Amino acid sequence: MTKLKESKSYKVFKVVNTILMILISAATLYPFLYLVAQSFSSEAAIYAGKVTILPVDFTASTYLSVLSKGEFILYYKNTILYTIFGTIISVMLTAMLAYPLSKPKLRLNKYIAPFIIFTMYFGGGLIPNFVLMNKLGLRNTVAAFVIPGLISTYYVLLMRSFFAGMSSEIEEAAEIDGLGKGGVFFKIILPLSKPILATMTLFYGAGYWSNWFSAFLYLDDKSKWPVAYYLRQIILGATTTSEVGANDAASAQIAANIRSCSMVLMVIPLLIVYPFVQRYFVQGMMLGGVKE
Amino acid sequence: MKKGLCLLLSAAMIASLMGCSKTDSEVKETTQTSEVTEATEVEEDLDYEFGEHFKSDEPVAYSMFWSDHEAYPITENWKLFSKIEELTNVKLDISKHTIARTDYDEKKALMISSGESAYIVPKTYDENQFVDGGAIVAISDYTKYMPNYTAFVEQYQLGPDLQTIEKEDGKYYRLPGLKETSEQEYTFMIRSDLFDAAGVDYKTLEKDWNWQGLLDALVKVKAYMVAEGMCKESDYIWTERWQGDDGSGGNLLKLVGATYGVRSGWDVADGMQFDREKDEWFFSETTPEYKEYVTQLHKFVEAGILNPESFTITDEQSCAKFYNGESVMLGVNKSMLTTYQENLDSTLGKDKYGVYQIVYPVGKNKYTAESARLENGIMISSKALEELGEEDFIKMLRFIDWLWYSEEGKTLAKWGVEGETYEVAEDGSKTLLPQYYCGGLSIPQTSEDQKDMRIEYGYAGGVFTYAGTYDQVTDNYSDTLKEYFDRVSNYREVAPVRPAVSGSEEDNEQINLIKTPLIDNVNSWTLQFITGQKDIEKDWDTYVMSCENLNSQQLVDLYNEIYTRNKK
Repeated sequence: MTKLKESKSYKVFKVVNTILMILISAATLYPFLYLVAQSFSSEAAIYAGKVTILPVDFTASTYLSVLSKGEFILYYKNTILYTIFGTIISVMLTAMLAYPLSKPKLRLNKYIAPFIIFTMYFGGGLIPNFVLMNKLGLRNTVAAFVIPGLISTYYVLLMRSFFAGMSSEIEEAAEIDGLGKGGVFFKIILPLSKPILATMTLFYGAGYWSNWFSAFLYLDDKSKWPVAYYLRQIILGATTTSEVGANDAASAQIAANIRSCSMVLMVIPLLIVYPFVQRYFVQGMMLGGVKE
Repeated sequence: MKKGLCLLLSAAMIASLMGCSKTDSEVKETTQTSEVTEATEVEEDLDYEFGEHFKSDEPVAYSMFWSDHEAYPITENWKLFSKIEELTNVKLDISKHTIARTDYDEKKALMISSGESAYIVPKTYDENQFVDGGAIVAISDYTKYMPNYTAFVEQYQLGPDLQTIEKEDGKYYRLPGLKETSEQEYTFMIRSDLFDAAGVDYKTLEKDWNWQGLLDALVKVKAYMVAEGMCKESDYIWTERWQGDDGSGGNLLKLVGATYGVRSGWDVADGMQFDREKDEWFFSETTPEYKEYVTQLHKFVEAGILNPESFTITDEQSCAKFYNGESVMLGVNKSMLTTYQENLDSTLGKDKYGVYQIVYPVGKNKYTAESARLENGIMISSKALEELGEEDFIKMLRFIDWLWYSEEGKTLAKWGVEGETYEVAEDGSKTLLPQYYCGGLSIPQTSEDQKDMRIEYGYAGGVFTYAGTYDQVTDNYSDTLKEYFDRVSNYREVAPVRPAVSGSEEDNEQINLIKTPLIDNVNSWTLQFITGQKDIEKDWDTYVMSCENLNSQQLVDLYNEIYTRNKK
């Protein structure tokens, strides 16, 4: 088989393209490498500005002290719990809402859908939400962290168009074979929807993982904090003191190293999970986003 | 059929929305009692004693916001609160109102707006957003019930200072921390070993040197460093920190500007300055003094001394340059003193360098940049007045008066209990007992088995400890720090307080509308003049014109109009 000869301009394009891509990758990778390098460097080296992409005076002592500190582990555990349960419930509920909405023969859909879409454009606002949670007695409970963001309208729409694209014959066949509506949904539809489910899991999961705002609003009790909020405390604690020059030697002492360590620890799980879900992720986006 | 259903659903939607708004309005509207009955009660009739001591006969609880600091997070073991309760029979209930320090202002505002405020709202720097809504009490109506507070105001003549926080109705809404004297804690730390080696007698010079004097000294130091091969001719030897992320030029410009009588950097505000002789306000950013001030600063850059990156660089980067010896000078405040030395110890090596906190130069005047004697303070929620009733409300104020403004209360909050955490020497000076050290009081740890008193018991925290007489404020300072403040008060003067200008809501809105683009313009020109991107001589008129086009004159007129109105 003879190889097609590449034209000169295509070769130039390939070279330029490769260089450009390398540059872009370097630009996106550098901050992360810098963070990792910093997290493993000694304070003296950091303060002297010697750290670039490789650790200087390698030390893992900050990691050890962060990980041996009870609170970090506690916040980490909280985050994992919130993320796992939150994501499972969110994905389930979203699918259960999207599925009937995708059936054009259900006439009420026409009237119910606007109510759901309405929430995309208008929200109650911060203070009414806060008052509501308070009155419901949910403040300072895990429910306050999870419930307000349980279903995202955007994801419902994404899932609805995915379901709408599935052939109805298969459902009819299943019903003829004796399955009820619930059976069709759980035994036929869901197993066939892995790409969109994986996408939703990633979206919701990342959302829960990095959500600090709900914790800021509703969780007064430190033992319920997720790690994202703790990280925010560390980062803000250091920057605000230097900005305002607050009179606290102790807060000025929060070393740069602790920040980078916490950030790395927080990012790692996402980095591990992402490559496995990415395959479905691209597929799912395409499937959900394109309407026939 | 379809239409009917449509209508029905829309109606349901509207009804549910109305339902929402109803629940909103259920939030109790806070009203303020403006009439205050004079205190006629006889002390014996009260169920508490007040004054230098406060004690309630019956146990009471007051809710309070708490700004929880990550460096000394609150724990159940803290003796601070139990001691207060033991002494006064008052339980400070912070259980529902504890907020992480970093989110304190935002969440506090959210909770107050949602009707979830605590009675006592400490650690407040800016009360403006709460004044118009009626959520907080006009506290100046009640200060007459606070004996320690009023005595302090009278003794140190803080009347004019308090006027600066008055609103248009002539009342103020925050009980500020009161100080006998202002503190110029921001200045520069220099590498004294290099200054000595270069033959600069900074200890004599600092008494009355001007900025040119400092520049000459730094040029000498640089010449020495170049000769010794410590840096190149092209290197800058001064990279400043605290540049102010808003593009204002931060601390450095505040300090230098104040010595020229102009407002700049962190202190730029709306650029308005008061002329005592003419008894009127003027826009300081286009005056000849301002021109002199930017010209002087530009000379530092031009001479290759001040790094123009000082105005964009992060604090970490500029500190790094000081720690590794590239910079010979860096901004410092009292809490950074030990941090710098610890880091220099680790980068340059202990005893291989020297540092000195200098008194920074004078410009057109000898004033320090800091003249404020008011600190952050306490707001009182209108809810307290409503729920407690006036009599018990006054009782609460007397408790606040004791805790924040009496000698006894201040000492308890700062040092703990005599014999338990600290002891008093014959000359009256206080020292911690040997088993404690305290980050909050800058008293360093000397042995492994010592505990931080602040972390352990909560004393010396930021919510209670921030003001007082000169002696009270400085009783924990190290000798070096005390000696620095002595030098400042010997060599420099405190500027008189600018009179209050309290406009109506519309006035303030108008001021803000003019201020934002105008000050952005001033800041950007200022930095361009200093760094040399614009030529001061050639471009000055264009700059003045650009300010006029952004209504600087209108601002002056507005200010003077409000000022005359206030005087009446």
